[in-house]
Amino acid sequence: MNTNSLLISRRQFIRLAGGAVLYCLVPTPFSGIAAEAGNGFIAEASSSKNPCDVRALTRKLFESAGGMSRFISKGDVVVIKPNFSWARSPDLGATTHPDVLETVIFLCQEAGAKKVRIADNTIHEARNCFAVTGADQVAKKTGADLVYPLSNLMRDMNLQGHRLNVWPVFTPFKEADKIINLPVAKVHGLSGVTLGMKSWIGAVGGRRNALHQDIHQSIVDLAQFFRPTITLIDAIRIMTANGPSGGSASDVAVANRLILSDDPVAADARACDLFQIQPSAIAHIQLAQKWGLGTTDFSKLNRFQATL
Amino acid sequence: MKNIRSLVYFRRVSQILFLLLFLFLLMETRLPQNVFLDYSQEIAGSKDIRLNYPVTFFFDMDPLIWLSTTFSTHKWLAGAGWALAIIGLTLFLGRFFCSFVCPFGTLHHAIGSVHPAVKGKQAISRNEKTPAQRLKYGLLLMVLASALFGLNLAGFLDPIALLFRSLSVSILPAVNIGIKEVFDAMAASDIKILNLFSYTAEIIVSPVLGFGYPTYQTGFVIGLIVLALLFLNRIRPRFWCRVLCPLGALLGLLSFKSPLSLEKDESRCTNCNKCMAACQGAASPRPGLKWEPAECVRCFNCQNVCPEDALSFRFIRQQALKQTPDMGRRAVLTGLTAGIAFPLLSRLDGQIHQASDPRLIRPPGSLTETRFLERCQRCGLCMKACPTNVIQPALGEAGIAGIWTPVLSMSTGYCEYSCTLCGSVCPTGAIQLITGKEKIAGPIRIGSAFVDRGRCLPWTENGACIVCEEVCPTSPKAVVFREADVAGFGTERLRMKQPYVNLRQCVGCGICQNKCPVKGTPAIRVIASGESRSPKNQILLIS
Repeated sequence: MNTNSLLISRRQFIRLAGGAVLYCLVPTPFSGIAAEAGNGFIAEASSSKNPCDVRALTRKLFESAGGMSRFISKGDVVVIKPNFSWARSPDLGATTHPDVLETVIFLCQEAGAKKVRIADNTIHEARNCFAVTGADQVAKKTGADLVYPLSNLMRDMNLQGHRLNVWPVFTPFKEADKIINLPVAKVHGLSGVTLGMKSWIGAVGGRRNALHQDIHQSIVDLAQFFRPTITLIDAIRIMTANGPSGGSASDVAVANRLILSDDPVAADARACDLFQIQPSAIAHIQLAQKWGLGTTDFSKLNRFQATL
Repeated sequence: MKNIRSLVYFRRVSQILFLLLFLFLLMETRLPQNVFLDYSQEIAGSKDIRLNYPVTFFFDMDPLIWLSTTFSTHKWLAGAGWALAIIGLTLFLGRFFCSFVCPFGTLHHAIGSVHPAVKGKQAISRNEKTPAQRLKYGLLLMVLASALFGLNLAGFLDPIALLFRSLSVSILPAVNIGIKEVFDAMAASDIKILNLFSYTAEIIVSPVLGFGYPTYQTGFVIGLIVLALLFLNRIRPRFWCRVLCPLGALLGLLSFKSPLSLEKDESRCTNCNKCMAACQGAASPRPGLKWEPAECVRCFNCQNVCPEDALSFRFIRQQALKQTPDMGRRAVLTGLTAGIAFPLLSRLDGQIHQASDPRLIRPPGSLTETRFLERCQRCGLCMKACPTNVIQPALGEAGIAGIWTPVLSMSTGYCEYSCTLCGSVCPTGAIQLITGKEKIAGPIRIGSAFVDRGRCLPWTENGACIVCEEVCPTSPKAVVFREADVAGFGTERLRMKQPYVNLRQCVGCGICQNKCPVKGTPAIRVIASGESRSPKNQILLIS
């Protein structure tokens, strides 16, 4: 890590030395709309039909929350962070539902986004993941960029977390105007659940397998660094056992629900309900609330509901 | 015979096209970058990712691979049509394969003739036939005899396998390292335009050279050997083809009765020796010498350069002008002796009859070790195709007989749970073609994982972890944990999840070992025992 801190200090040196031109080229830090207490919202959509029309349900959800144009402005570069960690077919519930992703991309494009990128640093080999999960096909259909987690897209940045400092960050997230977090709801052996905030482990590189040694603090450190414009939790299929990789149809339950919020903590807390877990039982949700990243008190939020 | 002088140009075109085809198929031996599986139709493992091109084409038409595998397996290899077609054409036309098709021959040809090391009188003497050219027949007999005794050595010396292996696990990965280090330096720069250029360049280069830094153990030696073989052209043009190539020897033996023969008109010859200087095969083209049909690679240089039109290739039967193949009794005896000795000596390491090496983890779908060594060509197709770089050319893992055969090293990669790409590209079926469904449902195990409690973070009370459990792909998971209150190294007691392995679930994929944060010697490791392919190498009574 010594060399990394040297790198950072060299950059600081260049800034100080008056490398103003260079500095202007370095993209601005994250400009997500952090939910401020009292202003946030949480929207939910559910369908009693099975199989339900996932695309229609996604559109309905955004309509109920005031439309995508509330979050995405004309000319925005939008980066979507789905969870494509595993080379599993969509029916196994280990990865974000491709229909949800597809609809969100179309909504962004309809709202005037200049560019939509899909980025995830997968656990399994990325090409396998993108092929099997349907990511490749969605990208082809929508014309969105599918960004492969290549080593030269990882840049050392200071996360300024409690536990994590200098860490390689997947640069598309650094270079986005708006970020949409689009995880799938799953259980996890160590962190209890893997929802929106934990999904940011897929936005960094480096020694990710060491994060588990203090998983909850690491999740919160990442969540305070990556501030998404909105979090949309895909609970069309949820993984109720053998998480986070699953692998069998018996690990998956069909919930046909979607949870959308501009408050990352509230979105995760609401999704705990899917697994009959209290948000208070998940340490990183509690920790994130304590750090002011959001609230688990839904009464402070505007609530929207949609059904299909 | 001016009208067939264009044969030389036709040959050059053919050489370039086949070399480009070889390189193209080599490049395409990879997980395609944009695979559009229709996810709406997709159910678990119902579709497999396959390559878009017949990447085994050159192996399918290689008569040496076909013949040695037929000898070693005593079975008719499926898809032998191309190889038989080459044999048939060789009976008729002679060693045209060496001059028109073989990409390795083309490389030698190019090095020896574009910038020749020797010229003039020296070139004439270097192109005279030497007794050393008998060596290739010895090597051919060694390969065929040892194949009969169950060890297929063809891949060490077969030009197609040798070239593919050298390029895919040595030369190209080395080039890749050079290029990627530049890209990474550009990516780390503070100048934005260099970052963008680095990413774009990597997107272009990676599909050809591989993502990240593919590495292969013994790649250094493999690269050194091919460079040395190419260097030998400085001593004699096409040294490899004349002296060493067992495929050339096989085709030479097949071609000595070929009707397409060199007709020499001694009355026209002025002894200018231009034909000798241009001869690729050291086949004595000058009138007055007996032509060597087994050495001639049918490059048609001699008739092309002859200013007096004294030489011409024709469909004739004039045995008087031909030399019978000069195999040499010593080369034959040495080759046969070696061919009998190697398979037996190589079994002394005990890999087949005693216990197998714990590191001898074969790709999923591999045959039992005996059957595997009968077929494997050590060509590197599986290593090139593997998306995680887990398949490595063996050094000591598979014993002397198994050098450069594929073994899995979980420190460089892991076996992707549903991936069956290696079996789909194996040219001889040493790794059987299986589907993802078969691999998962079997399950096809390649080994078994064990937790090293002396290293594991939760077991040594050094901290929480369970990365192995998280990444375990089976359902239910093979890595499970038990909770224990431990003292740790602080003041308060810790509740720790300590992993252990359910061998009945474990398939040996090695992702746990690959992702374990304990680097070097990971705290969870896979050994070959428990592999499905071997009835002997089992651990549990019932699995």
